[in-house]
Amino acid sequence: MRKLVDLFSQNKKAQLLLFIVYVAVTSLSLILAQQSVVAFLLLLFSILLLYFLKLNTKAKWIIGLLIVAVLIPFSASQGQAYESYMDVATLVGIYCAMALGLNIVVGFAGLLDLGFIAFFAVGAYTYGIFASAQASKFLHFGHFPLSGESFWIFILIGGIVAAIFGILLGIPVLRVKGDYLAIVTLGFGEIIRIIFNNLDHPINITNGSMGIASIAPPKIFGIVIANASQFYYVALAILLVVIYIVTRLEHSKIGRAWKAIRDNEIAGQAMGIPLVKTKLTAFAIGASFSGMMGVVFAAKQTYVDATSFTLLESTTVLVMVLLGGMGSVPGVILGAAVVTILNLQVLTEVSNWLNQLNTNGVISVPDALSPAKMQRFIFGLLLILFALYRPKGLIPAKNQKYDANKLKKSTTKSMYVEPQVSNDKKASGGSEI
Amino acid sequence: MLAHIIQTLPQVIVDGLTLGVVYAVVAIGYTMVYGILELINFAHGEIFMSGAFIGTTVLLILSSVGFLSSVPAILAFIIIIVIASLATGFLGMGIERVAYRPLRSAPKLITLITAIGVSFLLQDIVRFIAELKTGNYIVSAPSLFNDKIHLKTSAILPQFGDALFKSSFLVVLIVAIIMLVALDFFVNRTKWGMAMRAVAQDRETASLMSINVNKVISVTFFVGSALGGATGVLFMIQYGTIDPYIGFILGIKAFTAAVLGGIGNIRGAMVGGLLIGFLEMFAAANLSTLTHGAFGAEYKDIFAFAILIAVLIFKPEGLFGKAVVEKV
Amino acid sequence: MNVLEVTDLTKKFGGLYANTNINMSIKKNSITAVIGPNGAGKTTFFNMITAVYKPTSGDILLNGKSLVGLKPHQVTKFGIARTFQNIRLFHDLTVLDNVLVGMHHHLKSNWVGALFQMPRTRHAEDNAKKEAYQLLEYVGLADLLNESAGNLSYGAQRRLEIARAIAAKPKVLLLDEPAAGMNPKETKKLTDLIHDMRSKLDITIVLIEHDMKLVMEISDYIYVLDHGEEIASGKPDDIRNNPRVIEAYLGKGAVANG
Repeated sequence: MRKLVDLFSQNKKAQLLLFIVYVAVTSLSLILAQQSVVAFLLLLFSILLLYFLKLNTKAKWIIGLLIVAVLIPFSASQGQAYESYMDVATLVGIYCAMALGLNIVVGFAGLLDLGFIAFFAVGAYTYGIFASAQASKFLHFGHFPLSGESFWIFILIGGIVAAIFGILLGIPVLRVKGDYLAIVTLGFGEIIRIIFNNLDHPINITNGSMGIASIAPPKIFGIVIANASQFYYVALAILLVVIYIVTRLEHSKIGRAWKAIRDNEIAGQAMGIPLVKTKLTAFAIGASFSGMMGVVFAAKQTYVDATSFTLLESTTVLVMVLLGGMGSVPGVILGAAVVTILNLQVLTEVSNWLNQLNTNGVISVPDALSPAKMQRFIFGLLLILFALYRPKGLIPAKNQKYDANKLKKSTTKSMYVEPQVSNDKKASGGSEI
Repeated sequence: MLAHIIQTLPQVIVDGLTLGVVYAVVAIGYTMVYGILELINFAHGEIFMSGAFIGTTVLLILSSVGFLSSVPAILAFIIIIVIASLATGFLGMGIERVAYRPLRSAPKLITLITAIGVSFLLQDIVRFIAELKTGNYIVSAPSLFNDKIHLKTSAILPQFGDALFKSSFLVVLIVAIIMLVALDFFVNRTKWGMAMRAVAQDRETASLMSINVNKVISVTFFVGSALGGATGVLFMIQYGTIDPYIGFILGIKAFTAAVLGGIGNIRGAMVGGLLIGFLEMFAAANLSTLTHGAFGAEYKDIFAFAILIAVLIFKPEGLFGKAVVEKV
Repeated sequence: MNVLEVTDLTKKFGGLYANTNINMSIKKNSITAVIGPNGAGKTTFFNMITAVYKPTSGDILLNGKSLVGLKPHQVTKFGIARTFQNIRLFHDLTVLDNVLVGMHHHLKSNWVGALFQMPRTRHAEDNAKKEAYQLLEYVGLADLLNESAGNLSYGAQRRLEIARAIAAKPKVLLLDEPAAGMNPKETKKLTDLIHDMRSKLDITIVLIEHDMKLVMEISDYIYVLDHGEEIASGKPDDIRNNPRVIEAYLGKGAVANG
């Protein structure tokens, strides 16, 4: 049996074949069994299988994109639950992008940010205020709401505004002590929520606890993107850009500097890395990702209020990063997908199912223990268990491998010639002092 | 405007003192653990909250068996606070043993993450126990000390208004002060306190001096958590209504108090707590007047945070702390 | 010509003087040893030069420019790199990445360039990697380039620290007990490496070391610290026979008894 497994793990063709069969079966069952959440989830799961296949990276990307961009929407579109599936998939995309942003702060730079959702809120309100009639309540120039076409620019603006908040918060804190950052961001998350919830007077900027409604959905080439099935592609495109940015940054000079100060601050400084600036860059870039996704979130929901931005949300994103593997891009994507689906589908499904059992009198689970209410318990437990027993997460971070031959080829005129073995006596004369 | 501030001052002092001592005792829990492990124990706010709930549970049990009507309130109170602080003391010790000790050599980040995990776990466990038993996670405790006291401060200065408070205020104040004094004695005058300071200064050398470091850390957690739990009971006695999330914001404020006083410095934490308590109550009473109604008391929570940032910018070592030198 | 000039350098921790009025003149392209018993203040001295500690008083001049008041990373930029007594590598990074981090301050590559894969950045990165590989060959770690630094043997970690420090292209290299924990064979290799760095890379080397054989063999000049004070300085032969030095190491009476 073991031999068989070994053989299979070596055989590319067998793997590919089995993979294709798996994808075909799951997508067919999604098409046929119209309300099967299980089939939908299994189809999504194929992406993870693909990741572990023995194929080259390019092929994996092409197959993966085909599944995500064509197969999943198509299979899902055959049933009535189409929009709700796509809604989940869109949110998975948004949370993946956010978790990748937090991964820069926590995973690469080793800074704990517990108020990540505050930057998300900043982004969401930035778009929400200007893409609804809200802005005209305190600005006496310009025409509001801005049209949905401004959405694309606002993704950038939201990111920049969030980054500015991040820098303003980071400068005093990061100058002092890294571990204060955790509690300061925790406080910041709460403060932002309080401010947004109350800023309807003296000037009505956020409309207070009423929230901002009728936010313009994005528009491109005159088409309004209103359905989840359309939004899915927006989220997907943004996610791809984010993945590109994150992997590029990871393997650049700044990425190495982040990991260096995470591993050893003092040595990092001694190697010429400016500590505060480097931490601040990570913190600000992470914040800007969160802000950008806030813009997307506001445009998708067409409504924002302060209740969406609690500590629970920040912690949820942290769970995604820790669960998947801090510093590991594929890991974090997996973590984000698992946690989002757990949150949106599994917990509610199980709760509904338990409710049904309750009403049928089969068993009685008190309402207090309903899984949908137990998020804090589940996430708290996940944080503790993973930190204790699997701190590197489901897919641990891997270092980029360098090809020695490639580097060797050009070493013909090295400035560092290997040292000659000297005699026991002083070899070189040494300058006189 | 000034007249209003002066008029409300006696009440602000009374309220600020109550809140301040609560912050002070909770801040000590943060500062002790930080001093010894350099860890921000996020779960400490939840220990405080657990103390409040355990105290309420004991109170409800006592009143249901008719114990309350047969003994003086103060005796019932002593029983409640002793049980709650013992329970939370062991809870804190257990948390350290299970969640922090295995990670002592791990990166700080990981330990901070478990701490936030523990804090979430406690919130939800308390939430569903409360909800299971009472149907609602917001719990009101029967009040023990209900006599209204009217302090005629207007007699001292005609501009002053009178201060009103419940007799529970005196209980809170006296008990908190007793705890603060006792702790100060414990840390500075006893063998365990000395061992604690030694471990905080240099764990390795302390262990070479045949100090059982693990035991000292356990004791630190026990003492800090017991104080936190007892403060939870005081909070419950004073404010009457509790929910599983009271520890969160209060924890941040208490931590701010600890940083303000100089993290690791126990007397500093006391002063910091009192300052924050006063400032918050002052803000709650006067913010609306000071800003002509633009900002109201709903912004009072922001003050602690603003202080935290200001301290980090201008005096990161706190009022009574020393700048530390990292060993290379 | 003196590369590094230290005048009246003093560091006080509370009431304790860790360094008192240290004066040193270090010639270009020389190897200088700083020795002394444990707790003599040698590492404190290094920490002041690299701006980990701020001196209480005194001055440090590198090619005539004062380093006092700079941040640690600025000191590196000015041309001083170091290794650490208790090895401080980036454990989770690969061996090659460790060396690449050493190039941080002179690597012409920024994040904008990295994002858009600008030719200049790519070129700089490619060259840096090649150079890093050469450096690994130089210290004999080329075969381990993709290994995590934390997995290396003790001796290899010490050599990697040196490679990482040279990657910063320093004018002055500070080595804090480079031979600690090494066996005689490894120490021999290290000795050769230090010699070679001086002659080929045009680096001035200052080292703290307890291995007297190594110190006497390698140094052009030696400074002896005890209780934070400079008690002697001179060429190896002078130091070997200096009674104050022997006293500091072996205690009073050692001189009298022979």
